[in-house]
Amino acid sequence: MGENWFQREFMVPRRLAFNVLFYGLHIGIFAYGWWSQATNLKLAGLNTLKFSVWASRGAGLVLALDGGLILLPMLRNILRIIRPKLTWLFPADENIWFHRQVAYSMAFWAMVHTTAHYVNFINVEITQIRKQTALQIHYTQPGGITGHFMLLIMLLMYTTAHAKIRKECFEAFWYTHHLAFFFMLGLYTHATGCFVRDSVEPDLISTFPFYSTEHCLGYLSWRFIIWPGIIYFGERVWREIRARRATRLSKVLIHPSGAMELRITKPSFKYTPGQWLFLQVPELSKFQWHPFTITSAPEDPYVSVHIRQVGDFTNALGERLGVGPSVVAQMTKAAVKGYEKDEKNGFTRGDFVEVDPAMTSITLPQVRIDGPYGAPAEDVFANEVAVLIGAGIGVTPFASILKHIWYRQKKGKLGSLRRVEFIWVCRDAPSFGWFQTLLAEVEAAQADPNFLRINIYLTQKINEDMLWNIAVNDAGADYDPLTLLRSRTMFGRPDWNSIYGRIKSAIESGQYVPGSSSQLKTRVGTYFCGPSVLAKAIKKATEVNTDANVEFSFAKEHF
Amino acid sequence: MGKLVWHSFARLVSITASVYAIWAGFWGLFYRKFFWDFVGGVLRDPGGLQAPPSAAPFIAVIVKIPLVQIASMLLGIILLCMEYPLPQIKEFAIYRSLVLRTVFLILQVFLNVLYYQGTNAAIWSLVAVICYAKAIMSGEEMEESKANRGKEGMA
Repeated sequence: MGENWFQREFMVPRRLAFNVLFYGLHIGIFAYGWWSQATNLKLAGLNTLKFSVWASRGAGLVLALDGGLILLPMLRNILRIIRPKLTWLFPADENIWFHRQVAYSMAFWAMVHTTAHYVNFINVEITQIRKQTALQIHYTQPGGITGHFMLLIMLLMYTTAHAKIRKECFEAFWYTHHLAFFFMLGLYTHATGCFVRDSVEPDLISTFPFYSTEHCLGYLSWRFIIWPGIIYFGERVWREIRARRATRLSKVLIHPSGAMELRITKPSFKYTPGQWLFLQVPELSKFQWHPFTITSAPEDPYVSVHIRQVGDFTNALGERLGVGPSVVAQMTKAAVKGYEKDEKNGFTRGDFVEVDPAMTSITLPQVRIDGPYGAPAEDVFANEVAVLIGAGIGVTPFASILKHIWYRQKKGKLGSLRRVEFIWVCRDAPSFGWFQTLLAEVEAAQADPNFLRINIYLTQKINEDMLWNIAVNDAGADYDPLTLLRSRTMFGRPDWNSIYGRIKSAIESGQYVPGSSSQLKTRVGTYFCGPSVLAKAIKKATEVNTDANVEFSFAKEHF
Repeated sequence: MGKLVWHSFARLVSITASVYAIWAGFWGLFYRKFFWDFVGGVLRDPGGLQAPPSAAPFIAVIVKIPLVQIASMLLGIILLCMEYPLPQIKEFAIYRSLVLRTVFLILQVFLNVLYYQGTNAAIWSLVAVICYAKAIMSGEEMEESKANRGKEGMA
């Protein structure tokens, strides 16, 4: 991807600022921890151990910071609430990225801390400054025991969190990461037992926290860093309570392309378009929650998700609903083949089959949903022009957004939004039959032909039959033969630079956005969902084309 | 649900354990201590634990000359070369042998359990051994790196 490590970390102002602040803070705290130990006269006894004790105290303090930070990006509900207010300050959507940075830093400082302590304890044993052996400190005292346990937990959590393992078996990652509970317990109790003291024996007392701060001179960092842990625990409890509220799977629709649409009614569930939720089917798995994008608009009387059968959970769900992969494969084939038949017998590709419990022997399973959780597309209405780009299955959040825009348009409450460019890059459009139906509805409802423009790019290789089909059916027809939309399908990959260039020049010449004069800055927000290679290309195009009159912004969703 | 590919998980554990072993062996060069010296040892003040005469052979290869530490570092490096794998090793089919790794890792457990710094490396290597054993038992095979590579746009 053309750029090396240095350019990525240091040449991007935002990343540079993060690196300076984040690692600067770490080094600063390490230095403080070192200095305050080295200059503490009360701890002169310990200071005879020299560098190793200074390093271990410094690294310990840094680890306390990381232990406090590591849970912050995982406070999903709190992030959802504060995100819209703080978008200018930090990209809250990058929460998992931040979580990983803290984890990396934690691994490094754990190495420093542990190494230093291995030196400390062997020197304690040799000099007998405390009448103990190294192994007694390692394996019989709270600090040593919790430390070794935390290292073992880290080994398991870090290795199963590797991208490869997550892809092969998400469950292994998901379950192992709950060891975090014990890790955090270990972290909060790591410094108990009056380990850092100026007295010969630990000065333990009978009331909480069971040591006197007169002689026990640790940094007492647990008093501060325990709060994120408590809040996180509370949030998990709250999520459980919320998930237990009345939820009913009211309808299951099977689209010819094989996507299952679950319509769920849950009156207590409030969301904005572009958000996602966690879905649980207790019958299939009691503990697993799977993320799905919400495809209904808040105005709809139900919450819907579209699920393609691609993984083991979704396959199992398909089997449970009586539409296993074999049935779907047949339907998809029929849908792909269905071009020619479509218009003859008035059967469009968007037709779906409802799984009706009254008619078949299938009962609808119990479901639970948790959420909603944030996504950048919430703030679409703050822009004059919104460019929505979905690639492949990444198109799902835009179903909700487009529907929502359509509802708002009907009510005449569009905010500052004047135009919407919708770009869908996809390999084979027919497999997204359900989405086409939705697009067709939205397109048909447009009173102003300039408000919504739909651009579909088909990147698939086209065989001869298909080519002739297009050639024969396209000429003079009102609708595109592939998508049945009025907008024509384009073939090949989109050239982002020219697309943005065109938007820019159209805005500057005043033709594009009605009523906007050129002295005002026009905001064009891009919302992208899809693979990161594409994201980089688009982001670059937005940066290149930004100037005094037109400001392009870019936001990406993560899955 | 979800099928954990044991050998790819074991590989990550093995890498972590081997890096730890190299690091532990390095510090073991400067602070030499026989881990099991508390068995029958005497605590001197100052001076620390003195191993009993029966442990003399271990003292000779750990404290007098840090042979065990050096061997443990070398083994860790060999394992890393196998696991990553080093481009030069890639050509030979032997580098894909799960059994060979298991043997090396068991050796790593025994080396690291002998000296003071190596305990965690030994425990972690044991975890890797268990994972590889699980992989061998379930009949997993490591594919050649060509087939093993992720495809563009899969993520």
